Amino acid sequence: MIAAHNTSYLAKLPAGLKFGALLAISIGLYLIPSWQALVVLLIGSLLLLFSARVKFQQLRTALITLLLILSFVFISLGMQTNWENAWVSVLRLLTMCMFAYAVSLTTTFDAMLELFQQVASPLRYVGANPAQISLGLSLAIRFIPELKRVYLEVREAQHARGLANNPLAVAVPLVIRSLRIADDTAEALEARGYDSADKLK
Amino acid sequence: MATATSSQTRNTVYVAIFAAMIAAMGLVPPIVIGIVPVPITLQTLGVMLAGALLGPIRGMLSSLVVVVLALAGLPLLAGGRGGLAVLLGPTGGYLLGWIFGSLVIGVLFKYWVLRQKSQGTRIVTGLLSILLGGIGIIYLFGIPWTSVVTGLDLGTSALGSLAFIPGDLIKAVVATLVAVTVHRSYRGLMR
Repeated sequence: MIAAHNTSYLAKLPAGLKFGALLAISIGLYLIPSWQALVVLLIGSLLLLFSARVKFQQLRTALITLLLILSFVFISLGMQTNWENAWVSVLRLLTMCMFAYAVSLTTTFDAMLELFQQVASPLRYVGANPAQISLGLSLAIRFIPELKRVYLEVREAQHARGLANNPLAVAVPLVIRSLRIADDTAEALEARGYDSADKLK
Repeated sequence: MATATSSQTRNTVYVAIFAAMIAAMGLVPPIVIGIVPVPITLQTLGVMLAGALLGPIRGMLSSLVVVVLALAGLPLLAGGRGGLAVLLGPTGGYLLGWIFGSLVIGVLFKYWVLRQKSQGTRIVTGLLSILLGGIGIIYLFGIPWTSVVTGLDLGTSALGSLAFIPGDLIKAVVATLVAVTVHRSYRGLMR
């Protein structure tokens, strides 16, 4: 779901503008009660995705999951109330998600994260430290492949002991080794004099 | 001041590693039950463990980091999902529930479970805490959210989530046993 090399006109718009527009559209969609209008908007959202040259392959798994949930919603809502109601609800959700995909697929991860950090920046006044927030976010991403490696090692070791199918025998060492990695990383950061003092204060 | 900063850095690193654990658990291929592909993922196991091992604030922040990274576009959620559509869609409430679920588990572990002396009572109280926070609170956000977003009534929305209950119960038991064992061998996680 990352904006992989999207260079369309949508990618050039500032992230804040797209995010704001999405918020406004989402609220607006709930005020529209007619399915005809929603069909028009759905086509509009699809045209937007097409015009931004989004690769629909990226959306495949997300769309399959969404459509499964929506078909469940459609059937139960149709049987409980009426079918027009069900259409309106399903079309609204589909349209909203299409607009959301249009924003997500044309905004780079960096730009989106920067926007979130801007939105969260007033938290500074209640004691949150922006440097620590950035450190936490980037470390979390860095730790994912590290944990995968640890998981494979632990599983191999427990396999040799005949414990590969015991969830506790894998999970407990995995958690403890993760905590060790965290301790080591924190010590390394301190040893290198990592200073997170808020320079904006 | 130096010690304050360093413990802050340590807390940040703990938050990051549990966020990474929640994210990494989404990489494990979803188990498909029955004909309808209901993805049972391990991610809520990570949410439960974050609260139970790190306590309320850091546990909650771990879940929050995953949610923020996923909304920003990283495909961290089960099945490689991510982006803003996840929150706006019918299952967005469960994602918000993670944040409050790990908070509640953290509070209960810090002030109730870890004050129990014997291992047996720790397991019982721990399981109750994780059932309340990891299932109760998450569904408390997820079910009404689905209901509001889709227009389904609460009963149907709750019925739709029943398919996830067996998997969640197993995860709650595993999370409890892991948390109690780790707290015994790795003391002082929540001071």
